[in-house]
Parts: sequence; C-alpha cells; structure tokens
Amino acid sequence: MRVLLRLLAPLLGLALAAAGVLLVIEVVAVWVRPAATTGLVVPWPDWRTISTTLTWSNTPVPAVAIGVAVVGLLLVLLGLLARRSDIVLTAPTPEITVTTSPRVLARLVGRHVRATDDVAGASVTASRRTVAVSVQGWGKADPELRGTVRNRVKAMLDELPLRRRPRVTVAVQDRKGPR
Amino acid sequence: MTIPVELTKPEAPELEPTSTPAPRPATLRKRARSAVARSAAGDRSLTVLIGLTLLAAGTLVALLSYGVFGRGRSRRTLLDPVIVDALRAQPLLARLVALAAGLLLLGLGLVWAARSLRPERRPDVIVDGGADTAIVVSSSAAADAVAAQAGALRGVGHARARFVGTDAALSLRVTLWLAEDADIRDVLARLDDQVLTTARTSLGLAALPVAVRLELDSSTPHPRVA
Repeated sequence: MRVLLRLLAPLLGLALAAAGVLLVIEVVAVWVRPAATTGLVVPWPDWRTISTTLTWSNTPVPAVAIGVAVVGLLLVLLGLLARRSDIVLTAPTPEITVTTSPRVLARLVGRHVRATDDVAGASVTASRRTVAVSVQGWGKADPELRGTVRNRVKAMLDELPLRRRPRVTVAVQDRKGPR
Repeated sequence: MTIPVELTKPEAPELEPTSTPAPRPATLRKRARSAVARSAAGDRSLTVLIGLTLLAAGTLVALLSYGVFGRGRSRRTLLDPVIVDALRAQPLLARLVALAAGLLLLGLGLVWAARSLRPERRPDVIVDGGADTAIVVSSSAAADAVAAQAGALRGVGHARARFVGTDAALSLRVTLWLAEDADIRDVLARLDDQVLTTARTSLGLAALPVAVRLELDSSTPHPRVA
C-alpha cells in the first residue's frame, strides 16, 4: 500500500498541476482572442455544445458519476490503509525507538517452532496484535501438540522485549503424505 | 579521497557538548519516533482529500441523475442556462475566478509532486571546535562510522546507519541485521552503551534521538533437512 501511495502521490500532484495549466491556458486564450470558436489545447467549445443538450438523467451521466465515486473511494482507502505496520519493541532509553517488521517476528517464531522434533512443518503470520501459527504434526495428530506449541511460542515472546504482547493462536493440521 | 571517520571517546573533555541544553525526554522520544521512516503523512492526507472530493461529487451527481433531488431537476441540462447567463453577466469576474483556480491547482500540484519526489535530507554533523571554528563531518562519513561500530557488535551481522532530520535537530536511523543466535535485549543495551554513547560524545551532540530497525540476517540459510 505504501509503495502504491509513493508511486501515485507524485502522479496525482502532476495531474492536478496539468489541469491547472490547461485551465489557465484556455482562460488566457479566450481573453486575448475573443472571436475564436475553438479552444487552444482543449476542445472545450464542443464540450459546451454537448453539455447544453445533455440532461443529468441521460445515459452516460450516472455511470460516469458512479465511476468517479468509486475512484474516490479507492483513493480514500489507499490513503487510510497506507500506514506502517511496525512492531514496536521496548528500548533501553527513551531517546531510542526500536521497531521491526511483522515478517521478522513471524520468521523468529517460525524458526523457534520448527526447531523442535514434534513439529513437521509450520507457517506463521504475525501482526502487532496477533501471532497465528499453523503447525503440522507427524502422522496422527497429537492432541497435546496445540497446547505445547502455544506455550512454547508464548514463552519465546515473553523473552522478546515487545512493547505489546501479541495474542497467540495455534492451529494443528494433519500431515499429508508419507513421513 | 575520503578518509574514514573513527569515532572514539575523547581522552580529555575537549569537546564540550554544544551549549544548547538537552531537549526534554518527550521531545527526544517524538524525534526518535519520527526518525523511524520517512513520513507519508502529507501524501496520505492529500490523497484522502482528493478521494473524498471525488467520492462526494460522484455520489451527489449520481443521486441527482437518479432523481433523488426531484424529477424536474434531473431533466435540466448539464450546463444550465441560468448559470450561463450569470457568467455572461460578469465575464471579468468569471475569468478571474477561473484563472485563480487554475493557478491554485498548478501551484498545489507542483508543490505536492516536488515534496513527494524530493529525497530525504541527510544533514551533516557540525562539531563545535572552539570559538571561531566549526568542523563539518559529512553525513555519510559519520553514519558509516556508526554503522561500522554497530556491525561489529556481537549478534549483529551487518548494520546500516544514516542521519535524518535537520541540522538543528539531528536524528539517527540505524538498521541492524541480527544473527540467528542474537539476544535482542543484549544487542540493544550494548548498542546504546557502546556505539551511541561514543557517537554522542565524539560528535559533541547533547542529544541524539535514534530509531533502530531490526531485521534478520539471511546470509546463513536455515537447513530444511536437519
């Protein structure tokens, strides 16, 4: 989202500037040559004749309006969702801020979970609030595997200096295929 | 030719911290937080503003054309004769307003594009060397020295550093790639105790807010089959 915003923001700025330039050019052109019947860059006299015949309820108007509204909604969502998803850690002194990315936390947890023998494989997703672990046991699922993995992950998170302790959810899946 | 800068603690307190008193802890915390990454607040708020404008205009026009504001209103033309007559009555005013709107859009758009395309500042460090001497340590030299020291800490694979902020309010951004067996608490404590304290004293800074970013070193691949 942030990459998209970084790409889109200068383009939007340039589009605004271009619209402003066209407006200024056309106004000045009308001012200096009042007799002209065509626009200098933009064919706005044609648009004027179209818009004096078209009513608000004619076919293309509502469709275009809905399209514009959808584009606006997408821009609003882009602006609101492009926030940082950093995980904050406690620092030794107040003039230091320590952050890391959710991916790093997920890799740390995943490495810790996979390092034990009773887990065949694991996938982890992490965010500021939750750490979701999906583990595969060997063969027949051990009913206690879920609890042990959960306690292990919690103990590991306790050792990390996290500002906010995320909630841990563990899902156990059967391992498919031969051992 | 560039000479790598070595940051060492001065033997004698020759370099007094600059005469300005240290800022309050709350200010330092705020500056450290804003050094985490380049701010996208301007881009975000303008994008939301333009989006809201488009959303409101599109919704209102759609409602108008479906006759929510009255059947008669939706049967009028897009360019209403009433509005055309009003503009014809005051041609000078209409043109001036259009011109001002165009110039405003141009200025706003150019400022916005320039702000979001401009690279982030890398302020130099100015060390007060005495009564009429100022020593300028280039931003990259000072940052490379900090990065070299941070990269030598136990548990850190490699490190990168850069100065951000303004000349008057310097902040440091450090990215640490941690080794697999690193103890995060220990690394942070030693970073503060050894590297950052040295940087503050040797650069003569009363305060240096620091934003630390932790990453994992991927140079040692984890074996899939043990």
